[in-house]
Amino acid sequence: MTSNVKQNPLIASRSRQDMKQTDSAPVVAGRKRAGRAPKVLGHLTLISICALAVFPFLWMVSTSLKTQEGATAFPPALWPTPIQWHNYADIFHHEKADFLLWTRNTLVIAVLAVTGTTLSSALVAYGFARLRFRGRNMLFVLMLSTMMLPFPVTMVSLFALFRWLGDHSGMAWLGTFKPLWVPAWFGSAFNIFLLRQFFTTIPTELSESARLDGCSEFGIFWRIILPLAKPALIVVALFAFMATWNDFLGPLIYLQRPEQFTLVLGLQNFQSQAGNTPWHLLMAASVLVILPAIVLFFLAQKSFIEGIATTGMKG
Amino acid sequence: MARLKSETRDFLRGMAFISPWLVGFLAFTLIPIGLSLYYSFCDYSLLQPPLFKGLANYRLLARDSVFWKVVFNTAIYALMALPLGMVVALGAAMLLNMKLRGQSIYRTIIFLPSLVPAVASAMLWLWLFNAKLGLINLALQKLGVSNPPGWLTDVRWAMPALVIMSFWGIGNSVIIYLAGLQDVPRELYEAASIDGANTARKIWHVTLPFISPVIFFNLIMGIIGTLQVFAVPYIMTQGGPARSTYFYTMYLYDNAFNYLKMGYANAMAWIQLLIVLALTALAAWSSKRWVHYQG
Amino acid sequence: MIAALAASALFLLAFGPRAGDALPKDRVIVDYWEKWTGDEEAGMRQIVNDFNETVGRDKHIFVRYLSTSAIEQKTLVAAAAGVPPDVAGLFNQNIPQFGAMDALEPLEDLATARGITADSYKKVFWDECHYDGHLYGLVSSAYDLALYYNKQLYAQGASSLRAHGLYPDRPPQTIAELDEYAKALDRIDPSGRILLAGYLPMEPNWYINYMGIWFGGSWWNDKEKKFTFTDPGEVRAFTWIQSYSRRLGPQAVAAFQSGFGAFDTPQNSFLAPTVTMVQQGTFFAHFIHHQKPSMDGQWAAAPFPSFDPKLKDATYCNCDVLVIPRGAKNKQQAFEFIAYVNRQDVMEKLANLHCKISPLAKVSENFLSHHSNPYIRVFDRLAASPNAHPTEPVPILPEVNDEMTNFTQRLALLQVTPGEGLREVQERVQMKYDQFMEDQRERRRKQQ
Repeated sequence: MTSNVKQNPLIASRSRQDMKQTDSAPVVAGRKRAGRAPKVLGHLTLISICALAVFPFLWMVSTSLKTQEGATAFPPALWPTPIQWHNYADIFHHEKADFLLWTRNTLVIAVLAVTGTTLSSALVAYGFARLRFRGRNMLFVLMLSTMMLPFPVTMVSLFALFRWLGDHSGMAWLGTFKPLWVPAWFGSAFNIFLLRQFFTTIPTELSESARLDGCSEFGIFWRIILPLAKPALIVVALFAFMATWNDFLGPLIYLQRPEQFTLVLGLQNFQSQAGNTPWHLLMAASVLVILPAIVLFFLAQKSFIEGIATTGMKG
Repeated sequence: MARLKSETRDFLRGMAFISPWLVGFLAFTLIPIGLSLYYSFCDYSLLQPPLFKGLANYRLLARDSVFWKVVFNTAIYALMALPLGMVVALGAAMLLNMKLRGQSIYRTIIFLPSLVPAVASAMLWLWLFNAKLGLINLALQKLGVSNPPGWLTDVRWAMPALVIMSFWGIGNSVIIYLAGLQDVPRELYEAASIDGANTARKIWHVTLPFISPVIFFNLIMGIIGTLQVFAVPYIMTQGGPARSTYFYTMYLYDNAFNYLKMGYANAMAWIQLLIVLALTALAAWSSKRWVHYQG
Repeated sequence: MIAALAASALFLLAFGPRAGDALPKDRVIVDYWEKWTGDEEAGMRQIVNDFNETVGRDKHIFVRYLSTSAIEQKTLVAAAAGVPPDVAGLFNQNIPQFGAMDALEPLEDLATARGITADSYKKVFWDECHYDGHLYGLVSSAYDLALYYNKQLYAQGASSLRAHGLYPDRPPQTIAELDEYAKALDRIDPSGRILLAGYLPMEPNWYINYMGIWFGGSWWNDKEKKFTFTDPGEVRAFTWIQSYSRRLGPQAVAAFQSGFGAFDTPQNSFLAPTVTMVQQGTFFAHFIHHQKPSMDGQWAAAPFPSFDPKLKDATYCNCDVLVIPRGAKNKQQAFEFIAYVNRQDVMEKLANLHCKISPLAKVSENFLSHHSNPYIRVFDRLAASPNAHPTEPVPILPEVNDEMTNFTQRLALLQVTPGEGLREVQERVQMKYDQFMEDQRERRRKQQ
């Protein structure tokens, strides 16, 4: 059964890229001459699953457009009347929550972290993928194994480390954004892995000819490999952005002052205050927090799907 | 002579490229791990210097009934959420793999919830699961269930509620499975059809073995993920009611940042690490039996 | 499209809000983190403004008020991180833990220099600001507990009360009587759902850990530094609490409590009304007036009854305190503000805004006669009574609270008997406490 299959899924290859063209995948449901029945069933099941996936979003938006009484009314109405668009403006003016400031904070951290991790991970991935040197494979395996490290193991010591740095480096670390983006500039195992997989699919001839032309290794990296890697880089940047945007535990530990909070931390802080939970505002804020992720995803969709296929993430 | 030089040159060049990771590894991984091991043998609050106490923390953990409770809770959650989640994700991926119109829309919709941050997700489901005013109980009542569960306020239903909620965000597993499914060559299915196999047998004999590396990958990531579950229960239930949704990392966090018992928390972290390693090793060992690498 | 997004992001980064934009440049900024929101926040902000415009102006100090949730934890972690606020608004029960962990600056020298001594305060509150011989904070806002009862519901249930041999024109005088009043006034529908509870100890469950006070019990022996959860008074108290679950059914009780139950809304159980009597603090009067002014005059407050009629005027006293975390940058200026809040005129103004009692020994007649709580004299008298009980000065209070929460939840669900549950709590916390104290002793030994 495995006789006519080719490659190790752990390493992406070009022939897989060819197969990717056939977006309409083999019919799992079997009989090619089969009737409509399996297709209709497929559609129905998928539609119900999608309904379950989408409905919570709709409910979130619906609640976000109600008044406080409407939101807590029983039985709950499906659609608010009248629609309170101003809820979205209200969040930004709320005395207890500075969503604009929190958005700015999250953006600062995200931009710094995403740039850092994309560049540094690409650099390191290049080293692992395109160069041969002693100890390379061992270090690569070591790096992979760090992906399995549960965060709590280093969580407390990192806190203590940043405290020590704050006392000894002449600038504050804890209570600033630094612990959230500086480590990103040293590469992230997951991103290095993704990019390394991708880089190994690029033909070595390209590097060879550039070397023969006298190009430095860094030059090859910067001028030849990186441009070719755009889809993979977009995937990495997207994942990194999502991770930073959604990160909760990191900011929870490292950010002490409310004016430094990121959006998700601010949102949780807002919710956990005072007994009178303003569900309509909370839902509006939640919608806003989710929005960038969804927008970015739609924008980068094509590159994203392509990137996943070619980085062999499945293996 | 020349060969030695070029080997050294290669080595230096390679090191130069991976130096960011290497430095970061030392500073943000290796040293903290070492410190963490040391702290696990101390009593440490950060406000006062660490006090070495040997194995005291580990001994205390063994006698700590809350520790055992969170181990139990985390294990139960993992056993419920992981297998079910994988089955659901794989099933969804297979459906999304069918030759149907509008697949890209379906795929996008199913993937979207996994982009939602834990905080927003927690708020939303807190609202949906509200025993008196939430939509889920409203729907149950409309369907004729007279006494719908109290969900997050009921000791028996809080954990199932969290498990159900975890299915909403399986989108990224689905995509990974999907990518794996799309790799399965058509010829294999055709050959199986000729041999007279029906859908179920095709799945069992062709699909599953072929994507077994993907399943393995998701299993490992799943183990690592579920054993660290924190944000959602922290926000939704704070571990209640009566510690029924109190998980390992939450107790670890409470010990570190609520009670300022950082030594104790580090001991918990090391135990967690060892468990993760053990389970991963177990999965890797068992993978020889059921994971088929091609080529 | 992407360009547009990037441009707006950059715009936000460049021109968006920045922390610390509108602060005066010529003064020392004192960061003050507080837990209060809503009206209480408004009240304190007024005081902060008053300070900034008077003493602050003279001494070049500007206090910046910041509202934050989980204040105790945030302050602790910020102190551990080396970036604490200058003033933090904690609860008096945090002082032992924070003090024991060296998280606070001792204030006794600053206080004595200012002429602030034990005589300035009601004993309960002065004690609550101390731990291990050090003064770690001063009061910002103080209250104690009493029984709030709905006179109108008493009148409506008059016939039922009289049938039980009770009196619609006065509140219960003992615990036993309280139970009878509760039973007479309960309105339960045939399916067991509680429509109106006469009284339910779990509503609210804020002070449930201290119920032992009215049963002559205590869970901490300060002389011997031992937990006494298995003290007969405590067992009696929790048996009594559980009796309500037994009588009404745990599901009914749980269902009754779930739902929004938000304190600061008209759905508050006393306001809805879904309970006739609650044990609450001095400030509750303000919430009643604010959320349901139609109820003004329909309620009254009286000392919460005790199990033993000879135990008169028992109450639990609690206060919010202002502390200076260790490592605060502006200690002197922070204390200026704290001392200001403890001036009699300022304290009385704040206490009136917060609808609370004054923790000071001297209370002006004006304060008592113009207070927003019509029963302020009851609360004031209770706080000065010999049976006014402070919070137990236990340094591992978060652990104790978590254990008690777990215990009371299980108790209400009838999953554990009071004796058994209290014994478990006792063992666990005693072990933790002994461990903690031993570590502290080790530390001190090593430092010598």
